[in-house]
Amino acid sequence: MSAPKQPSQTPTLDLSRWRNVPNLMMGIGGAGALLGLIVNPTQFAHSWLLGFMFCLSLVMGALFLVIVHHLFDAGWSVPIRRFCEHIANLVFPWMVAFFVPIALFAPKLYSWMDIKDRAGHPALEAKYPLFTMGGFYLVSALCFAVWWWLAKGLRDASLEQDRTGAAECTHRMRRYAGGGIVLFAFTLTLAVILWMKGMMYEWFSTMYGVYYFAGSVWMTLGTVYLITMVLKRNGTLAAVLHEHQFYFIGSLMFAFTVFYAYIHFSQYFIIWNANVPEETFWYVLREQGTWWYVGMIIIFGHFFLPFLALLRIDLKLTFWWMTPICVWTWLMHYFDLSFNIMPTLHPDGFPLFWIWLDLACLALMVGLLTRAFLANFARHAPFPVKDPRLCEAMGLIAPCASPISGGEMDETDELADALPQTGAK
Amino acid sequence: MSETATPYGLIAEFATPADAMHAAEKVRDQGFKRWDVYSPYPVHGMDKAMGLKNSKVGWFTFCGGVTGYTLGMVMIWWMNAHDYAIPVGGKPMFSPFSAFPPSYELTILLGAFGALFGMLIVNRLPRLHHPLLKHARFKLASHDRFFIVIECADPSYRGDETRALLESAGGHNIELVEE
Amino acid sequence: MARASKTVNGVQLTAPPQELVREPLVANQRGLGWLSDAVAGISERPTPKWWWPAFLTSLGLMTVCFAMIAYLMSTGVGVWGLGHPVMWGWAIVNFVWWIGIGHAGTLISAILFLLRQRWRTAVNRAAEAMTIFAVMCAGIFPVIHVGRIWFAWWLFPIPNANSIWPQFRSPLMWDVFAVSTYFTVSLLFWYMGLIPDLAVMRDRAKTKLKKFAYGLFSLGWLGANRHWSNYEKAYLLLAGLSTPLVLSVHSIVSLDFSVSQLPGWHTTIFPPYFVAGAVFSGFGMVLTLLIPLRKMCGLEDVITMRHIELMCKVTLATGTIVGYAYGMEVFIAWYSGNPYEQFAFWNRAFGPYWWSYWIMLSCNVFIPQLFWFKKVRRNLAVVWVMSILVNVGMWFERFVIVVTSLNRDFLPANWGYYVPTWVDILTYVGTFGLFFTFFLLFLRFLPIVAIAEVKGVIPQADPHHPLGGAKPGAHH
Repeated sequence: MSAPKQPSQTPTLDLSRWRNVPNLMMGIGGAGALLGLIVNPTQFAHSWLLGFMFCLSLVMGALFLVIVHHLFDAGWSVPIRRFCEHIANLVFPWMVAFFVPIALFAPKLYSWMDIKDRAGHPALEAKYPLFTMGGFYLVSALCFAVWWWLAKGLRDASLEQDRTGAAECTHRMRRYAGGGIVLFAFTLTLAVILWMKGMMYEWFSTMYGVYYFAGSVWMTLGTVYLITMVLKRNGTLAAVLHEHQFYFIGSLMFAFTVFYAYIHFSQYFIIWNANVPEETFWYVLREQGTWWYVGMIIIFGHFFLPFLALLRIDLKLTFWWMTPICVWTWLMHYFDLSFNIMPTLHPDGFPLFWIWLDLACLALMVGLLTRAFLANFARHAPFPVKDPRLCEAMGLIAPCASPISGGEMDETDELADALPQTGAK
Repeated sequence: MSETATPYGLIAEFATPADAMHAAEKVRDQGFKRWDVYSPYPVHGMDKAMGLKNSKVGWFTFCGGVTGYTLGMVMIWWMNAHDYAIPVGGKPMFSPFSAFPPSYELTILLGAFGALFGMLIVNRLPRLHHPLLKHARFKLASHDRFFIVIECADPSYRGDETRALLESAGGHNIELVEE
Repeated sequence: MARASKTVNGVQLTAPPQELVREPLVANQRGLGWLSDAVAGISERPTPKWWWPAFLTSLGLMTVCFAMIAYLMSTGVGVWGLGHPVMWGWAIVNFVWWIGIGHAGTLISAILFLLRQRWRTAVNRAAEAMTIFAVMCAGIFPVIHVGRIWFAWWLFPIPNANSIWPQFRSPLMWDVFAVSTYFTVSLLFWYMGLIPDLAVMRDRAKTKLKKFAYGLFSLGWLGANRHWSNYEKAYLLLAGLSTPLVLSVHSIVSLDFSVSQLPGWHTTIFPPYFVAGAVFSGFGMVLTLLIPLRKMCGLEDVITMRHIELMCKVTLATGTIVGYAYGMEVFIAWYSGNPYEQFAFWNRAFGPYWWSYWIMLSCNVFIPQLFWFKKVRRNLAVVWVMSILVNVGMWFERFVIVVTSLNRDFLPANWGYYVPTWVDILTYVGTFGLFFTFFLLFLRFLPIVAIAEVKGVIPQADPHHPLGGAKPGAHH
């Protein structure tokens, strides 16, 4: 591989200047959200839902990365697992707290809640008892409970291993991951159906859960790349990171760029080609006015641009190239969510005027989550210090007598010929 | 073997990939151009040890893929919307959506041809004869041994000096292979 | 027992506990030369006793397949059980089934390559061979299904007698492009992987004929590093192209159904669901073939229990994804409130073909859950039986999709019960003959494990590993 080396002597990143950014975001975002709540509660509810689904994408994406790390028995992703565990744990209490406005404003968001005479609406009547007030809140609570249980269980076992180094912790995390992936798939699908697809309860698509999942993980990978980069440059993870973490995260981003496009194209194309009115109305609405341009932004910005930008191997390791792409994933995911959420309220076109409220709600949530994340991150070791696969992640041959030759380390040209003998036992 | 056998190159044998790699680094540093390392499998890191640049095969694939996609789209537009328009199911005569699946397959087909034939073209294969194939021990290059061959045609080639270089790099059974 | 530990970059590293140490990919520390001997030796040794009976049986079955096709051609599609309202029967079921089986080969050779799963090297050659032969079997069905087979060339972009071009808005046209591309690219990929191994065979050949044949097809490969460099790039590119290809092929097959408006066929999750199902059935077939093969060919050190276990895990994962898709289909049928959707699924589970639906669910979703247990994954007999059940289940999945969606149309006037005829059955059975004839020939004449690739993943091949000759403490 002809990748240019990252100069390891780059000056350490000093983040102290940025310390107040989360507070600033919370302050400005809080004020903006409050203003929005007063002037237009309906718009506030929609903007808040958008911000909430955006943050949920990140939290669920991080949970997914932790789960697949264990399912694949991966080695390379050990150093990035700890902060993913922290992000996943933001689900409680923070995401639950952010759900409160949605729970309160639900009738403004979900038109089916206003329908008194269910018998006249067969599409709604069919959804009994899921689409009732009780069903809505109960299933929402169930989803949060499952996510909290999973995120907490995985992080607790991981932190316990920091202390004991016991293999049992690894086994316990694997058990959580095994059952977790099934629960994760079903709860995430249910939540997205209830909170996003339910905004147009007449519409249905079996792909929808996968669709939200694909976009979420894509955006999460962009964020994970950025966090990993920052933690390398400010020295926190510099000792354990290797070039291949960046390469693999970049490759996964590329894979999910394609996966998202595949999923969205399939959903659109099958509906377009079959041309059944019960389904096409959802996309017809999204081709009205400026929504059509948002659709184009998604096709070109969510797929073609990152696809071409991530094609080359060496560029996946080039920070100045990757940083804008990672930030771009946020923008595209925002448009994607807006494309799903806003047309019910603004059928004529993208609500350019209300962008400030979307951003205010998002800033408030992200500011709070960042502070909570940083506090958690500071409280514990920055990476799983006694994970049995840590040496693989560092690109070293396991310091034990039996030679390993698994599918663990590929970038052998970066390996030291053998471990330094100093301190060898 | 003909009467007027001209020398092809100097061959040296190595037992482990590490030996071959260290030797390759030495040969590279001497500025040789027409030489190669022969191994039963691709040795990771050997490209760097030999000072090779990134392979050019990607361009063949890229050109094949672009040709395939364009060909597919133009073909479908020309056949179904231009030359003999067939109205079916109220669908547009040409739509990038329904033309996408076949064009996509053609992209991959021609891209794959580009990859395989590009590799063969860049490697100057197929080749039915090679001086090394006559060398008795060279058969082990596909078994478990590693060889370095420096061609006599290399401008830096200096008979005994080159032999000494290969010896000092740890090569065994150093011999001159004839054309 | 204290575990070895060292400090690197200020981080204290401890060797993994014994239970978490990864098993080596090639057991018993076998070296480079041993691998050549073990794999090439299979086709160099005299023909084993079981080979001829197996080959002749397959050949006989293949003849049955061609006889059935000849009968069909000379008589007409009326010899099959097709008819109103079930116009797609076993032929389409078999087509989708066979092509699905092929997908595991491409998954192993391409997707696992991109995912850096180096265990793939032990199984990819045989799996790719399986892909090619399975696609051959699959390709037969749509061609003979068109009825007047002598007009099958109308599917190609050649103007027919009336100067009319093929109609590219039909998913069946997309199939033509998808399947023919898939076959061609799989063959190219397989052949490219074979080149270095054919050179191994050439260098070991004793007879003139073998020297000539292997020499010709190895294209003069010498193992030069300049060649390897381009070769690896081309391999990566082919893997990169085959990955979206394998996804697209079964997605396009799924579009044959899902772009229609028929309840049970028209659902947006079909493309990824078909791909997952294809990989699932393909791994079932790989396990079915390789478990006996590793024993018969003495390859237990190359295709180890770790390989079997990993393949079981892939089977479990894809089976569970398929289960998610079944769940979503039923859930959305309920959720949509569309009476026709709901009836289609009620009809599947409790209609006249209820047994096929429950066989499908049991074999594809419930039984593979046993693979959660290590004891099951390491019991070869159980794994082998389960791998066969996987393919039984996947055959029934396609049967459920094709037949139960058609047999009860929107109006009761369009209801009927489809049964296959003996010609349907013998054609299907005959394709096994075709498959195994080719597979047995492959076993006899080609290296069934990618020798050069397995060599590359053992520690002896790593110049930075002590077994590869690295001196402790030396940096270069």
